[in-house]
Amino acid sequence: MSQAWDGALSKSTTDRIEIPGAVVERVFEPKSTGELSEIITAAAADRQGLLTCCGRTRLHLANPAREIEAAISLAGLSGIQEFEPEEGVVYVAAGTPIAEIREEVAVEGWELPLDPPGRTSTVGGTVASAATGPRAHVFGGVSDAILGLDVVGADGVASKCGGRVVKNVTGYDLAKLYCGTFGTLAVITGAWLRLRPQPRIRQVLRAWPGSAPKVFERCRALSRLASVRAMVWEEVPGEGAPEVCIELGGSEEGVAHDRDRISESLDVDRISMDRIDSLRDARVVTPAGAAEDEVVLRARVLGSESEALVNAMLECGLAITVDAGLGVIHARGEVAEPGVLRSIRERAIAGGGFAIFEVLPEPWRSEFDVFGPQNGTESLMVSLKERFDPAGILNPGRFVAGS
Amino acid sequence: MPAAFVERVLEIVGQEGCLTREGELFAYECDGLTLAPRRPLAVLLPTTTEQVSAIVRACREFDVHFVPRGAGTGLSGGAHATENSVLIECSRMNQVIEVDVANRIAIVQPGVVNAELSTAIAHFGLFYAPDPSSQLACTIGGNVAENSGGPHTLKYGTTTNHVLALEMVLPDGRIQRFGNRVGESVGVDWVGAIVGSEGTLGIVTEVSVRLTPIPEGVETLLAIFDDVVAACRAVGRVIRSGCLPAALEIIDRRTIEAVEASIYAAGLPLSAGAVLIVELDGNPVCMEGEIATIRESCDAEGCQAIQIARDETERTRFWRARKGAFGAMGRLAPDLYVHDAVVPRVHLPEILAKVCEICDRYELKLANVFHAGDGNLHPNICFDKRDADELDRVVKAGAEILEACVAVGGVITGEHGVGVEKRDYMHLVFDTADLEPMYRLREIFNPDGVCNPGKIIPTTRFCVEANPKARGYDEVPIG
Repeated sequence: MSQAWDGALSKSTTDRIEIPGAVVERVFEPKSTGELSEIITAAAADRQGLLTCCGRTRLHLANPAREIEAAISLAGLSGIQEFEPEEGVVYVAAGTPIAEIREEVAVEGWELPLDPPGRTSTVGGTVASAATGPRAHVFGGVSDAILGLDVVGADGVASKCGGRVVKNVTGYDLAKLYCGTFGTLAVITGAWLRLRPQPRIRQVLRAWPGSAPKVFERCRALSRLASVRAMVWEEVPGEGAPEVCIELGGSEEGVAHDRDRISESLDVDRISMDRIDSLRDARVVTPAGAAEDEVVLRARVLGSESEALVNAMLECGLAITVDAGLGVIHARGEVAEPGVLRSIRERAIAGGGFAIFEVLPEPWRSEFDVFGPQNGTESLMVSLKERFDPAGILNPGRFVAGS
Repeated sequence: MPAAFVERVLEIVGQEGCLTREGELFAYECDGLTLAPRRPLAVLLPTTTEQVSAIVRACREFDVHFVPRGAGTGLSGGAHATENSVLIECSRMNQVIEVDVANRIAIVQPGVVNAELSTAIAHFGLFYAPDPSSQLACTIGGNVAENSGGPHTLKYGTTTNHVLALEMVLPDGRIQRFGNRVGESVGVDWVGAIVGSEGTLGIVTEVSVRLTPIPEGVETLLAIFDDVVAACRAVGRVIRSGCLPAALEIIDRRTIEAVEASIYAAGLPLSAGAVLIVELDGNPVCMEGEIATIRESCDAEGCQAIQIARDETERTRFWRARKGAFGAMGRLAPDLYVHDAVVPRVHLPEILAKVCEICDRYELKLANVFHAGDGNLHPNICFDKRDADELDRVVKAGAEILEACVAVGGVITGEHGVGVEKRDYMHLVFDTADLEPMYRLREIFNPDGVCNPGKIIPTTRFCVEANPKARGYDEVPIG
């Protein structure tokens, strides 16, 4: 161990973070980008693997880690540093909780178009894991909200990409690379985010659509109404009829119009406004919170293919929630053998999408890549990792293709 | 150009797909950026992905560089030939391969013309949302390279928001697919990185795009102002009101004069200092309330009058004026330099005043037509490039405009790309540390720089600010 790394370690504290493949017991909490750079530089010189984390919401979502010596928590880099209500943009440090930003911008009539599962999610974790929720239906993906990013690279050098304006093609769109690569290319330290005008009104409706043929398809068609912000279909095998929750938002006239259209097809009740949040947050299942043999997965397929995959999962005994307009299916439960998961993944890929295994029974871990096949781009990913993190210190082994 | 190379490419694309005569090459010596033209060694016109791959392999074998090109409507020289290069033009790869109406997806070859895709799918009630002003000519492949925008970017986003998957011939000739039909990556978002990379990472040979339902209701308003600054302030009010129009476009007095004297004449009032085109779309029941919001915002800034398009014909007429503006400006001078920069929208009024001051100081003819809702300026400078002194002033004024935009938190291009035009100005926005990851990305795909060399970022890393020779583009004297 080098002196520099030894010196850096003396500034870490003791904790215990369990992640697939490792237990990390030393945690750094830098208070500035400069401190973060020093830690990364020392780690790179000594080839010490680092885990990066913020709110720790989705740390379990990864392949087994290789050789991780310490964690860096971005909790010390937190806060809304610039908010421009006239412009509808905000700059936040990576460790800022999403909930804090939501509240702050709402005061000025804006809405943060990020909807990650979990009450403790932060900006850094949301961007790094590209975490979305049911409102991706109207918000789009995480990278759609990003105008610019500040990062510290695996060489300890701070850099920026993008900017603070809402339209920008100045250089390569590196934010697309940093978003969703789970901190394996650089550590995100801050983000310029685009805001949306808040809807004038919001309503949440609930219905029990029954199990008549084509009912799922009918609901899915309703999700295309302009005011629909989220539509979540929830169904548990053997526990009665499915439930559908729909969040509407927009102008009074638009919401009333679409509510009437929905009421023509479904018998709906108005329910509590936080129902969609509850359904979203229930999707965070850590290995500790799951039963020993339980599987938790997230799949996405084309809308036209989603009912068939939903039915296949229900037949396997999995409980599901579906973002009906997006074709996103969250499922959990026990399955008989790993072949069932292989079959689900194959069907998801054939349906135009993917299946990610968020929690797996321990004996099956070695049989699956959490993220699934990469369609021949593995060598490019390896090359990307080699160039951005030649010492292999940032979250080694946790992402795709062993990177 | 080696004769054996010509022989090889003739085997691949045939005589009709290989242009080598001087007269044929003349039309290809620049794209929409008419400064710094350069004639390519040849222009190759493949019709299949396999032909593109074979051409790329042949180029590598004979040490010839290659530059991908769509319709050549780009405005930053991204499709300009460089030394020892051929153009690989994808305009003959113009087939719509599949339309999946149920999932609102189209799979197209890169040479499909932007507007023709929307026409081809209109009977399904769908359209392709990105609509650059050149949409009657520009191709989807070029749009992918430049991450093209257009007037409706404000609501619908740019090309990157509509591309789900790509097929690309890598600079080593391999054919690789990226992305999936649901448009969400489960590994690296390669599609996101490739869109807007200006053809420097490979040659896109197939594009899967998201289609958008044609809105049930559309209202197009024309708000008339005494001056362009008041129009900009009205845009700020609209943004703050919580209303999200599909488009917010400003046309200034000089542009109005040019348009009204051209075939694009739309009856715009010649007495106006500026007009603001506002388009609202969505559920028809919401339109009345939104129109009221727009009226309130415009009235608060002293709007003279608001016209609402009475029917589709009038709506088309308003838009013809906007999208034909660049063409109309051809009447003002032999050459037109269409600038492109973005500022935070709150700074639009001061930047517009600054742009006018700069052009007045350099005694240049300026016309502004721009995407005000995005803060995306298009100062258009009319000039005659045969006049060396005027050309020099155009370049200097352009540099000052970019510096002014960056000084208020803006960037040097919002939708036209960097190309060769703005490589010299990348340092205004990014320092060496910011550019380094861009070099790394390019090296992964294009390690020896044979694919569209010298675009976006200088060819080599070293001493780019101190030593123009090291930039690798000193033969292109822009800026």
